[in-house]
Amino acid sequence: MRISDRATPLRARSVATLCALVALVALACSRSAGVGGDTARATHTSPEQPAVSHAYVAGDSLRLIAHDEILPVGFPASVKPLLIKNPYEGDKAAISTGGKLFVAYNCLDCHGADGSGAMGPSFQDGRWHFGGGPGEVFESIYQGRPDGMPAWGGRISNDQIWMLTAYVRSLSSKDLSTENFTGKTIERTGH
Amino acid sequence: MIVRRAATVLILAGLACKMESKPPAIDTTGSSDPKVTSSAAIGTSMVAGARIAVPHAGPPGEWQMPAGDYASSRYSELASITPQNVANLHVAWAFSTGVLRGHEGQPLVVGNTMYVVTPYPNVSYAIDLAQTGQPLKWKFRPENAQQAIGRACCDVVNRGAAYADGKIFYNLLDGHTVAIDVATGVQVWRTKMGDLARGETMTMAPIVVKGKVIVGSSGGEMGVRGWIAALDASTGKEVWRAYNIGPDKDVKVGPRFKPFYAHDSGTNLGASSWPGDTWKTGGGAVWGWLSYDPALNLIYHGTSNPGPWNENQRTGDNKWTAAILARDADTGEMVWAFQVTPHDMWDYDAVNENILVDLPVKGRTRKALVHFDRNGFAYTIDRATGEVILAEPFVPMNWSTGIDLTTGRPRVVETKKTAQDKNVKDICPSLEGGKNQQPAAFSPQTGLFYVPTNNLCMDFQARAVTYIAGTPFIGGNAPEKGGPGGYRGEFIAWDATTGKKIWGVKEPYPVWGGALATAGGVVFYGTLDGWFKAVDARSGKVLWQFKVGSGVVGNPVAYTGPDGKQYIAIYAGIGGDMGLLIAGDVAANLPYDVRERGTTLPDIARWTSWGGELFVFSL
Repeated sequence: MRISDRATPLRARSVATLCALVALVALACSRSAGVGGDTARATHTSPEQPAVSHAYVAGDSLRLIAHDEILPVGFPASVKPLLIKNPYEGDKAAISTGGKLFVAYNCLDCHGADGSGAMGPSFQDGRWHFGGGPGEVFESIYQGRPDGMPAWGGRISNDQIWMLTAYVRSLSSKDLSTENFTGKTIERTGH
Repeated sequence: MIVRRAATVLILAGLACKMESKPPAIDTTGSSDPKVTSSAAIGTSMVAGARIAVPHAGPPGEWQMPAGDYASSRYSELASITPQNVANLHVAWAFSTGVLRGHEGQPLVVGNTMYVVTPYPNVSYAIDLAQTGQPLKWKFRPENAQQAIGRACCDVVNRGAAYADGKIFYNLLDGHTVAIDVATGVQVWRTKMGDLARGETMTMAPIVVKGKVIVGSSGGEMGVRGWIAALDASTGKEVWRAYNIGPDKDVKVGPRFKPFYAHDSGTNLGASSWPGDTWKTGGGAVWGWLSYDPALNLIYHGTSNPGPWNENQRTGDNKWTAAILARDADTGEMVWAFQVTPHDMWDYDAVNENILVDLPVKGRTRKALVHFDRNGFAYTIDRATGEVILAEPFVPMNWSTGIDLTTGRPRVVETKKTAQDKNVKDICPSLEGGKNQQPAAFSPQTGLFYVPTNNLCMDFQARAVTYIAGTPFIGGNAPEKGGPGGYRGEFIAWDATTGKKIWGVKEPYPVWGGALATAGGVVFYGTLDGWFKAVDARSGKVLWQFKVGSGVVGNPVAYTGPDGKQYIAIYAGIGGDMGLLIAGDVAANLPYDVRERGTTLPDIARWTSWGGELFVFSL
């Protein structure tokens, strides 16, 4: 069960409302009524999907996906967000599918071949405007970003967004330092 | 017009490989050697009896429209700065625009005020030239949707404003045109012209013709359906809009349409030269420069590449993309059309400037339009009829063996035709073209054109692509590399009556800034590695250069200050399509730098970085 794959109701809401979604583990499903606010539909899309977390509206300013590195100290226990994991993180088959989706949805023509950057930002340079964690990348794809990144939530399945997330994150694994250079003359190698 | 990056680090073969292994091969005018010398072959050829078709706009000491005149000549009648004294040129003052992106375009000067428009967010400034320290009279920051940043293919540039009747007019990246009262800095009107949701951004500089502001949009990489439109300068109300593709009614093809070549005659060619409905997302945008001939009452504009780049998805001529169109200024009706690159499959937009001059060709004075196309040919065209008088290559090229003057069409080399799922290697020029947006200049004193050029080649990998509104509609990748000869750009003088290069100054990088010719016999241009240069209009000798810091992608202008002196103004601020990828992050030429820029512009990071500065020079 994951964030509703039929996300049309989510799309109807304002971005502010979207931002008010909190991701909780499956366990939290039963707590959603107590959280208050409207509840996103959480559905099983296929029986073989791994059990992962889902989104619920908290009715406050919490974000769609928890950001592990910014969990605040002393966060109210009643709405404590639990870390969401990308079911496909590191999954080679899913990353490969994500790479194909990256081409099919024209991500490549904006972000460059292999995510090297073009109209849109690079995914290879280790710098992330909106965070590079799985949840953050999911959010960027799902709800779009103000500099022109379209919102794909509700247009493609959340499953595909997770695969894209896995692919995009796989591009940055080279940990490149791409801006610094030294005073030394470095002969190009390899070609 | 977008730059594509290599899917993997470009493997360069043979000679190119050796070139790449060293610092960029440059002649003595290059950045690595500050000596002011020239490699130019000194020539003395001049063309007598050539004249600019339309006079300079306003007094000679002002610069009221993007190119200084409707003819797009970028010629200034100011003559105080000469080859003899230009060595004494120095910075008079400078101004920071507050924006660190590609500063294409040029300032305007009207009376004692200079008007500057920045890249996104498209702030405009009115600078008081009459006061010491050049304080601002006003600053205007428009409402401008942030989404536009990511919908613009090739950096968030703006190519400048036009002045008329107490207002300046310019386009916003998010698809609006605005009019600002120059006395107060207050917005008079604002009209939505482009649809950002469909990838229509606006970067081009308008011209104002008989009370109408003429504008067009960008988006040839976003599957837009290109158009040009006229707005009432007083009210901002749209007067006419002509599409460049689609049925005759939309394209404004009617009884007045008389193309020179027979194959351009027919009904609804703007739709029938496309498979099915593909014209609806076929590009043909108007993002380049506009010219106007008052005697013929014709506006001249180019159109962008067809979309997508993958030619398999759009068999046919794809009219009227990659074309030069002549339209009635009052109605937008098409009077003639010339498709420069029919069925373009290399991203050769035809939006470069059309310079209107009267030229003696083969014993006859011709009402000419001279156009240096992305495809590498320089065209001398009859601007009344659209007849190609001559067309010769002005840069190294290999995709065509020449233009058939009986049809105007290029003879295409089979092995350089791109195709879906094929990697076609070593096509010259690259998709950046033999020349791109950087406008050339013309001097009636020498009769020569001064042309900033690129010397790049590419491999082209086309693939199937689906149209998704608001995302790129490209379907291709085209990694670039330096062209033959070990240089990547050249500033050349061109004789359009014979189709011959007279002299050239080789540059290590593509010359992405425009040219200015002056009556003093000095021609100015800037370089990507941050030099601003003055050369002798006759010989091409580099007479003076100054390191402005950030790379120059803008165009110099000349004006007379309140003190009566001649000034030269230029923006420094690397960016635009060639600088896009380095603008955010100047690429180092390091083996471990995976970005294509390391190979396209080797070592550029040692010479320049972001900037956003106006420099003004005087003796």
